[in-house]
Amino acid sequence: MAGVRLEHVYKKYPGSDLASVKDINLDIKDKEFLVLVGPSGCGKSTTLRMIAGLEEISEGKLFIGDRLVNDVAPKDRDIAMVFQSYALYPHMNVYQNMAFGLKLRKFKKADIDKRVREAAKILDIEHLLDRKPKALSGGQRQRVALGRAIVREPQVFLMDEPLSNLDAKLRGQMRAEISKLAKRLETTVIYVTHDQVEAMTMGDRIVVMKDGIIQQAASPEELYNHPTNIFVAGFIGAPSMNFIAGSLTDKGGELRFKADGIDVVMPEGKAKILRDKGYANKEVILGIRPDDFHEEPVFMEASPNTIVSAHIDVAENLGHEMILYMNGIGTQAVTARVDGRSTLREGQNVKLAIDMNKAHIFDKESEQNVFEN
Amino acid sequence: MSDWEQLQHILKCPIIAEDLLVSDHSEWTSLEPGTVIMDQAESLKAIWRVDHRTLRQLTIKRSTWTDTEKALVQWAVTQQVGQGSAGTFETDSKSDGERKSRALGDWIVQQAAIGGTETVPGSLATDGRLYAEMIPFLLETDHAAEASAFSELQKLLASFLDEEVIVIPLKAQEWLVLAPVSLTRDTLEERDDQTEMLEDSLASIGSGLQEMLASEWIGECHLAVGRPMKPVKSIVQSVMLLQETIELGRIFEMGSNIHLPWNMHLERLLISIPENVRMRYVEQAFGRSDVFMEPETLSTLETFFALDCNVSETAKKLYIHRNTLLYRLDKLKQESGLDVRVFRDAVLMKIILLLYKVTKRT
Repeated sequence: MAGVRLEHVYKKYPGSDLASVKDINLDIKDKEFLVLVGPSGCGKSTTLRMIAGLEEISEGKLFIGDRLVNDVAPKDRDIAMVFQSYALYPHMNVYQNMAFGLKLRKFKKADIDKRVREAAKILDIEHLLDRKPKALSGGQRQRVALGRAIVREPQVFLMDEPLSNLDAKLRGQMRAEISKLAKRLETTVIYVTHDQVEAMTMGDRIVVMKDGIIQQAASPEELYNHPTNIFVAGFIGAPSMNFIAGSLTDKGGELRFKADGIDVVMPEGKAKILRDKGYANKEVILGIRPDDFHEEPVFMEASPNTIVSAHIDVAENLGHEMILYMNGIGTQAVTARVDGRSTLREGQNVKLAIDMNKAHIFDKESEQNVFEN
Repeated sequence: MSDWEQLQHILKCPIIAEDLLVSDHSEWTSLEPGTVIMDQAESLKAIWRVDHRTLRQLTIKRSTWTDTEKALVQWAVTQQVGQGSAGTFETDSKSDGERKSRALGDWIVQQAAIGGTETVPGSLATDGRLYAEMIPFLLETDHAAEASAFSELQKLLASFLDEEVIVIPLKAQEWLVLAPVSLTRDTLEERDDQTEMLEDSLASIGSGLQEMLASEWIGECHLAVGRPMKPVKSIVQSVMLLQETIELGRIFEMGSNIHLPWNMHLERLLISIPENVRMRYVEQAFGRSDVFMEPETLSTLETFFALDCNVSETAKKLYIHRNTLLYRLDKLKQESGLDVRVFRDAVLMKIILLLYKVTKRT
């Protein structure tokens, strides 16, 4: 197994002045499960394809272990890839599909057999070894594609949206299985997804990308609790963080955030940082996660300075939680997540307290998180 | 024991036999086939022309030579040239196969350049399989292959398909592979419902082959697959069709590396329209082609058309709510005047989208 290092990596396509991937610097540790996440066109797949050797690196260096591999062919990089549009070899059965890479590398028959059967056992496809791909379900095919990668025992696994062709239920199952598998194989995994739930549940570390640039690379907890800018804050977490444009007013020893339908006091620690950085009496953007709205009386009594009133447009009860879509706070709809046993209903006016200790303030121009930069 | 090995044994020094391309050694272009040049500098070299594109060079490393030894080498080489073979090492016999394939490849390229429809001349159609039905695959690699690519590719394909295939190098980084039709029969016969079309079977073999070549051999590459044909009669037309298919695929199917001629009818028709006519049409039909500049619009439309204009399936595939998709389609209708949920408008939008792609890239 080995780590992967990208140093100032760029990708420019011929005929285009703009780089699709810009100045990527990443040090992926041995045995780390790293997730590249971002919207369509953010450069995550291009980055993975450069690591795989399927795209040339326009500028910069790529190391697998200590070896510079910019000019090394994909087959010689000691990596295994599983892609969204993986194609199993239709004329071979499952066993042959998994064994082919090893056969090419001139492994002994006994070793091939051992590896294929071990991988099949891990993936629970031992009973399918004689079947051809077309006789398999989507989930089974996906397992075979994974098996083909596993038997290689590569230094690094590269996966590009490997679950996106599966239905939601199967995707959930396979997500857990890939995580388990990575731990069991103790291998380095670089995993691309557009799905922040996959990213948050699978990755040791997540790299959020936008427009070919890394926005933030951190652990799931760090990304959720300390997003570095509005993009990351809005991308990570479902439902998304609420953003309310308003101003900070410093009056009577209190720093208050004010906008239409909201007038709340910033906690002292945060107020000090905001004053020190010159944000008092300036326009900013307040970020509040849906979870940080509270209806519990105890919380409301303890935080009288952070109570807001809103009208519930839609209340979605998911059993264990209720999602409220409200208006009346700021100019846009605001989402809150409360306990599933809540008695709140659509059409009601409601008072909720905000946990301002968890609130984020973003610079209106740069959109950077004031507390994290 | 081979002739060169006998010579090595007699002279007690190593003999290296290698093939050179005439194009890389302009100094030998005028060398007539069958003529042997002996050159003695640090080592004794014998060079002779094998065919119109290949030279063979024999290098014998030895500091001192007697006239008899030189005469012996001259005689041995002349014997080889006279036999029309340049040695009996195993590698040399493989190069012979490669030479024949290259000669056929050169002829195909020449014929394709003039749009020829001739059958393969008997002198080039020495492989009996050229008279049987074969499946053509055209491979275009993005990276240059190494000198040993021919034999590597041949071995790799034989191992992958478990069948002997014919590999024909065409232009630089372009290969024609002919595989027996039994490959599709296998997959077709095993269908329970017997309904799989030949084209589906060819597409799935092509996808598997492309993925294998990308990961196990050359990296990024494009592959086009054609319907089975008799190479001796149709090889040139087949190559021309597959070349055009890859060219169209690179323009119209960005992100896909496997291209199928039977999926390219509309694209083939549109590319044949002169550029100024295409441009004028896009302007007239749809004043604001800049709507497509938004990647979101492009990906929405492409997915919508790929899924036969099914709103629910498109929303699912794009991981967006159905209402978000409807909002996007309404917005597009406002901006373009075309409602892609209506068949007539969908056809027009599909054509404009394709024309936009080709005008943007020319």
